[in-house]
Amino acid sequence: MATETLSGAPSLPLTLARAAVTAGRRRGGQLPDTTLQLPAATVDVDALHRYQRLCGWPVADVLPHTWPHVMGFPLQAELMARGAFPLPLPGLVHVANAITVHRPLLSSERLDLAVRAEALRPHRRGTLVDLVTEVTVDGERVWEGRSTYLRRGPRRDDAPAGEEPPALPEGPAAARWRLPGGLGRDYAAVSGDVNPIHLHPLTARALGFPRAIAHGMWTFARTLALLGPRSAGPSRSRVWFEKPVLLPGTVEAVVRVDGRWSLAGLRRPDGTPLLALVLEER
Amino acid sequence: MAAATPGPRRAAVIGGNRIPFARQNGAYAAASNQDMLTAALEGLVARHGLAGERLGEVVAGAVLKHSRDFNLTREAVLGSSLSAHTPAYDVQQACATGLEATILVANKIALGQVDCGAAGGVDSASDAPIAVSEGLRRTLLRLNAAKTPAQRLRALAGLRPGHVVPQAPRNVEPRTGLSMGEHMAQTALRWGVTRQSQDELAAASHRNLAAAYDRGFFDDLLTPYLGLARDENLRPDSTVENLATLRTVFGAGEGATMTAGNSTPLTDGASVVLLGSDEWAQEHGLPVLAHLVDAETAAVDYVTGDEGLLMAPAHAVPRLLARTGMTLQDFDLVEIHEAFAATVLATLAAWEDPEFCRDRLGLDAPLGALDRSRLNVNGSSLAAGHPFAATGGRIVASLAKALSEKGPGARGLISVCAAGGQGVVAILEAK
Repeated sequence: MATETLSGAPSLPLTLARAAVTAGRRRGGQLPDTTLQLPAATVDVDALHRYQRLCGWPVADVLPHTWPHVMGFPLQAELMARGAFPLPLPGLVHVANAITVHRPLLSSERLDLAVRAEALRPHRRGTLVDLVTEVTVDGERVWEGRSTYLRRGPRRDDAPAGEEPPALPEGPAAARWRLPGGLGRDYAAVSGDVNPIHLHPLTARALGFPRAIAHGMWTFARTLALLGPRSAGPSRSRVWFEKPVLLPGTVEAVVRVDGRWSLAGLRRPDGTPLLALVLEER
Repeated sequence: MAAATPGPRRAAVIGGNRIPFARQNGAYAAASNQDMLTAALEGLVARHGLAGERLGEVVAGAVLKHSRDFNLTREAVLGSSLSAHTPAYDVQQACATGLEATILVANKIALGQVDCGAAGGVDSASDAPIAVSEGLRRTLLRLNAAKTPAQRLRALAGLRPGHVVPQAPRNVEPRTGLSMGEHMAQTALRWGVTRQSQDELAAASHRNLAAAYDRGFFDDLLTPYLGLARDENLRPDSTVENLATLRTVFGAGEGATMTAGNSTPLTDGASVVLLGSDEWAQEHGLPVLAHLVDAETAAVDYVTGDEGLLMAPAHAVPRLLARTGMTLQDFDLVEIHEAFAATVLATLAAWEDPEFCRDRLGLDAPLGALDRSRLNVNGSSLAAGHPFAATGGRIVASLAKALSEKGPGARGLISVCAAGGQGVVAILEAK
C-alpha cells in the first residue's frame, strides 16, 4: 500500500467543496491503495476545550475517547474527495463507528495520524466502506477508529444486511436533552465539519432532510460523556447511527451498566431508537 | 439500653491534591469550577487508588458560584472515577471554605459517622457568574409571573435603559462597600505595618514556594492541568528591591503600603484533601501524614470598626491554644494564609502586643513572638495565588506533608482569615 505524508491537516471546507464539485465523476471501482499520514499533529487546545464543553465532558487534559476522530476526519475527507475514491462523498451516510483507546491520551502529545479506506462491500441498502484512522505516538499504536459509511443504492436483497445494532435498554429515560437548533453550527465550529446537512434547515432541506440534523459524532460523544470518565482509559466502543436526530429536538438517553460493560442509547420520546452504543472498559 | 455509639477518634490527613493555581484570565480561562474541582478530585483518586471506591462523603465549595452549580461538589463526584454512591455537599465560608470543609469531614470521621472523605474547594475568578441588574431581574420576575397580556406590558414598561448593564461580582464587603484591600489597608495603618516588611514577606513567599517546587515537595500534592505544572503567579526571582518599585493600590497618601506585589492576585484553582480514620488508611495501605487535633472559628465586628475585617484569626488562635493547653511557640510549623502580606504581619503584631492581648483577648500575657523561620516555609498565597475556596485544601495538604517530613509528633498551626470578619484556625500533628 502506498503511503503519502501530508505536511499539514487539509482544510475541511475546501476539501468538502472539492468533493461536492467532483461528485458526479465517481464511477465505482476499487478503493485507492493509499494511506494518508499526518505526522506529529498537535491538539488545538482551544478547540478541544470548546469540544469538551459542547459534548458534556469536563475541560481537562485527557483527550475524550472520540477526539482523535475529529483530528483524523480531515484526512478521511481528503481521501474521499480525491478522484481515485469510487464513491461520491456528498450523500455518504455515517452508519457505524468503532473506536479502540489503548491508553489515555493527553492534549500535550503529538499524534501521528494515518487514514486509509478498506472493506468496500455490498450492503442490502447500497455499498459500505470503512475509513480507518490509526494514531501512533513514538511508534506505539494508541488509538484506532473505524468509520463505516453507506452509499445508498438500489435495494439488494441478496447482499448482507450487516450487523444489527443491539436493542436499546428498556425503561424510563436516564436523561432528556433538548437540542437547540444551532447545535450543528456549534459542532461545526469546533470540529471544522461544515457539512450543510448539520448547519441550517434550508441547507439540510436542499439535501433531502426535513430539518438540520445533529452530527452523529456529537450524539455519540454526548452519549459517551453521560457514561462519565470510564471511556477515557483503555476501552473499546461501537456505535450504530440508526436514524437522524433532527434539530431542534428532544432526545432521551437510556443506559445499562454491567460492570465494565455499558450499553447506552438515544431514542425519540416516542421510543424510536436513534443511536446504540456499546462501551467495554479494558 | 442505649444504642452503642463509637467514641471520638482523631481524623487523619492522608494526602491531598490540587491543580496549579492560574492567574485570572490565564491558563484556566476556559475552565469552570466544576471542571477544576473534578480535575483535582480525579488526581486525588488516581494517586490514592480510589477508583470505584465509595467515600463517606466529599465536601467542598466555591465562593464565586453560578446558581446552576447548586450541587457543585456532587456533580464533580459524578464526573470523577469515585463510586457514584459517594455523597457530597457544598459549603461556603469565603476564603475559609476549604479549611471549614476539612473540619466538617474530620469531625464526622472523629465521631465515627464516616470512615473516610475528601474536603476541598475551588474558585474561578475568570469564569465568574455575571448577574443582571436588580431592576432587570425584578422586571423579568414580574414578566414571568404575569398571566395576561396587560400584566406583561405593565411589567415590560418597568424596563429602564440602565437595567441592561450586567453586574460582575465585586470583591467588596456587602455591608461596607469597601474592598477587602481597603479594609486591610485600615488595619495595616492601625498596626503600623511597613511597606518594607510586607515586601520582605512577599519575596519570602515566592522564594519558599519556588524552593519547594525545586526540591519536588509538590510532586505528590499536585496534578498538572491545562498546560500548567507550577502556579502561574510564582515569580522565583522576586526580590524586595523589585517589589519596592510597585505603586500602591490600597490605602491613600503617605500611609499607603499595599501593592499588587504584597497582595494576592485574583486566581483560578482547586484543591482537595483525603481524610480518614487510621484504620481506614491502614486497610487501604495508605500512610497517614498527620492528624487534625482541634479547630476553632472566630468572628469579629468589623462593621462598626471595632476590629479589622481580617483579624478574626487573631482571636481564634488564643481560644484554640487555651483549649488545647498549648502556646504559640509550641508549633514546629505555622501557616498563616497570606490574603495580604499585611494580614500576616498585623496578626503577628497583635499577638505580641500586651495591650491588645490584655484588652481584646483577655489574656494575662501576650502570645509572644513567632519564630519566623517556622512561618509559611513552603510559600503561601502571595506566591501561589489564592483561589478563595481552594486555599484551605492547599494549606492542609502541604502542612500535613511538611509535618510528616519533620517526624512523629511535629505540630502545625493553620490560620485562615475570611470575608465577613471571620477566621478559621486548626492544629495538625504528625503521626
